[in-house]
Amino acid sequence: MKHSPLWTALCASAAMGLALGPVMAQEAGETDGILVQPGETESGTAAESEAPGAGLTASPTEDDTAGDETDEDEPAAEASSEAAEEDAATGAESGDEALAEEETDEAAPAATLDVAPAEAPDDAAETEEDAGEDEAQSAQSFRDQPQEQREVGTDWPFWGGDTNAQRYSPLNQITRENVGELERAFVFNSGDLPEGTADGKYSPETTPLKVGDDLLICGAMNELISIKADTGEENWRYDPGVPNEAIPYGATCRGVSLWTNPAAAEGDTCATRVIEATLDAKLIAVDVETGMPCEGFGENGTVDLWQDIGERVPGWYAVTAPPAIVRGVIVTGAQVKDGQAEEAPSGVIRGFDAETGELAWAWDLGAEEQNRNGPPEGEVYTRGTPNMWTTATADEELGLVYLPMGNSSVDYYGSNRSEAEEEYSTSLVALDATTGEVAWSFQTVYNDVWDYDLGSQVTLVDFPQDGGTVPAVILPSKQGDIYILDRETGESLFDVEEITGLPKGDIEPDYISDVQPSSTYHTLRHDDLTARDMWGFSPIDQLWCRIQFHRANYDGFYTPPSADRHFIQFPGYNGGSDWGSVAVDPERGVIIANYNNIPNHNRLIPREEAEERNLRPIYEQDEEGGSGAEGAGDPQIGAPYGIDVNAGWRSPLTQMPCTKPPYGGIRAIDLETGETLWDEPIGTARRNGPWGIPSFLPLKIGTPNNGGSVVTESGLIFIGAATDNLFRAIDIETGETLWQDVLPAGGQANPITYEVDGRQYVMIMAGGHHFMETGVSDAFIAYALPE
Amino acid sequence: MTHSIYNEGTHFEERRHTHWAAVFIGVLCVLLGIVLFAGGVWLAMLGGSWYYALAGIGLLLTGWFLARGLMSGVYVYLVTWVGTLIWAYWEVGTDWWAQVPRVVAPTVILILVLLLIPVLRHRRR
Repeated sequence: MKHSPLWTALCASAAMGLALGPVMAQEAGETDGILVQPGETESGTAAESEAPGAGLTASPTEDDTAGDETDEDEPAAEASSEAAEEDAATGAESGDEALAEEETDEAAPAATLDVAPAEAPDDAAETEEDAGEDEAQSAQSFRDQPQEQREVGTDWPFWGGDTNAQRYSPLNQITRENVGELERAFVFNSGDLPEGTADGKYSPETTPLKVGDDLLICGAMNELISIKADTGEENWRYDPGVPNEAIPYGATCRGVSLWTNPAAAEGDTCATRVIEATLDAKLIAVDVETGMPCEGFGENGTVDLWQDIGERVPGWYAVTAPPAIVRGVIVTGAQVKDGQAEEAPSGVIRGFDAETGELAWAWDLGAEEQNRNGPPEGEVYTRGTPNMWTTATADEELGLVYLPMGNSSVDYYGSNRSEAEEEYSTSLVALDATTGEVAWSFQTVYNDVWDYDLGSQVTLVDFPQDGGTVPAVILPSKQGDIYILDRETGESLFDVEEITGLPKGDIEPDYISDVQPSSTYHTLRHDDLTARDMWGFSPIDQLWCRIQFHRANYDGFYTPPSADRHFIQFPGYNGGSDWGSVAVDPERGVIIANYNNIPNHNRLIPREEAEERNLRPIYEQDEEGGSGAEGAGDPQIGAPYGIDVNAGWRSPLTQMPCTKPPYGGIRAIDLETGETLWDEPIGTARRNGPWGIPSFLPLKIGTPNNGGSVVTESGLIFIGAATDNLFRAIDIETGETLWQDVLPAGGQANPITYEVDGRQYVMIMAGGHHFMETGVSDAFIAYALPE
Repeated sequence: MTHSIYNEGTHFEERRHTHWAAVFIGVLCVLLGIVLFAGGVWLAMLGGSWYYALAGIGLLLTGWFLARGLMSGVYVYLVTWVGTLIWAYWEVGTDWWAQVPRVVAPTVILILVLLLIPVLRHRRR
């Protein structure tokens, strides 16, 4: 149920003696390359918003306003349904070429981009009719068989790179030899920056898609934008008008998905569509060429995901991950804000017809059969069930979708959970994407009371075994265990070891499991903590942490929650592996995993004390509420305890973690054997230090990190993720950092690589992250070798 | 360093001519020593390491001697510091990041204490 936070923390207490070491930092060279002037874009778009095509290209400010108003009055409607836009959209779709062209031109004066309906809009009507006839048939057919998928290389067509989510690119123009010459090719500023109450809640985490000549991106508040992949010039934008109050824990849009309708003729409006799910829980489909909402999808291109969820409480139910699309079915879960109440929005997973937006099926683990086609009139999907906030992986071939499930809504107390919740919480569940039925599931924690949600997207591989290969799935977890499962059966290809004799604690000894699984293939987890691992900046704060260590409940891995004293949870809820997921080099047979190595210092808060502290659930708060760190005082209404989480166990004396570094690492693992090839700390101490003072130390201390990597055929790993705000290229053979650049804010986003006209680009969004304390920015930065 | 001594006036030189720097460092060591000792005793009572309580005593003695202008302060601190190094190595070996809180601050204090040697010598003359 959560998505992971983290902060900066740490560091170089060496800073004490030394004023500062040699600073590496080449300061962010914003003058490098082509900088898309925000001013230019804005003036351009401002003009457009007067034009009929407004909805597509209005300036961020104007659209926000429009969006807010609309949403306040009428939450279900959005900016796109305003009359003018509707007209525009209809005009275009009805095949009036002249009108469409005119609008397009007007709509994009500055953005230049010829969004043009290159192919025959005048055939559109006809084609649509044809499509209409075939509809029933085609809808059937593309669900029964695999649809052809785009390949990674020149393009980056999926959030995870290719259909297998390997984050691997066959591109090799940028090599270990020339990577040192890498420079900024352009910077695109999306204009999506926090305004008003969104301040301090931004964590965009955005990864673009690249298809054809364009990049498709979303702003943190879900504005959809298409830009030229080689210059950053804007083609179009579409603002769904998400209001600030919809921000759950952070304003995040990890990415979007694409679907091409096999039944549509090339050039048809929405033949290829961008699918996005938003913070205010809408599923949106727009045309990839023009950004026009897809008329035939839901209502004016929008499906309301609040449908059948229950009372609409903005921010409680939000989508931050790109949906998976399997055989024409869009599959999505949602983030349900953690720790509020047992009576929370359902964790239901739903499939929607990618063409029409109609509900194809629902998987409600609390009422699988009854709610398969939606709950009966007047009822809602089962409340408080485990949800999926992260990204699913589509298996077009087997027609399955792999869902990394989180925990129930109340994370740290389990006695009230149903059997079905216990069966599926913190499990990888494979659903038949055409029917929504469970094919198999694999659980990584029994009776999870640690918020060990599965955060990583799983990666598909042909796993080398016995001289052949087995279609397998790589499942990384927050505990650090990496499992290799047979894709068809869910059986682990390696022994799953059971850790036995675990403590059951005093709170709910009948619920806590004294047995837990662990992987014999590989774990990223470090050894259990000891008093010697306590850290600090001097013996005095170290002493303070040692005292806390001895005062807390800690019996190692899976220490159960306690209320009389704090309990130490290690690894903490940031992982291990989190949403950044792992990358796989299938040629070299190497898994690249970055991970966190930090504990949380937690305590259950008895209900009475929670009342005294006035811990309120989200449905009783005004808009200002709930901007704190996840779990730092959550009410868990319905359970006898609230929860207080000190994520990263930071000392109140110095704001540094109580444990020693490294707080984060990156590891290369042999795919076939699971053996570690190398393991290096990731992140330097330059931005971190006691009391948040940057130490400027270029020392590789290993910082908390969020966001994954990209691996290229030429043997390079590109990754930001760490709290030092550096973007770096690492040699896959040695783990050595070969190149780095200072970002304007944290690179807590998965990077991509692609090619335009024979030139390879690497791009990362440097959006920063509120909880990682890495600033805020709207910059998408593209790097390339000098021409 | 020596100017200030004369500025203080000769009246006091017989009785309390401890240099202000020695007093300052001495008081600092006493304060740090109190914190380390008190926290260290608490930690030891919780079943943790005795090092902090012992190091606290070392600092208290160091501070006491330094504030009185006695060279013994330097010797006591040297013993404390060497003891700290041995303990730190025993606890975490060559894990340099883990050495940082154990060794850096005590070494900074060592440097300050060593810088007092000329001042302490002067007093003896």
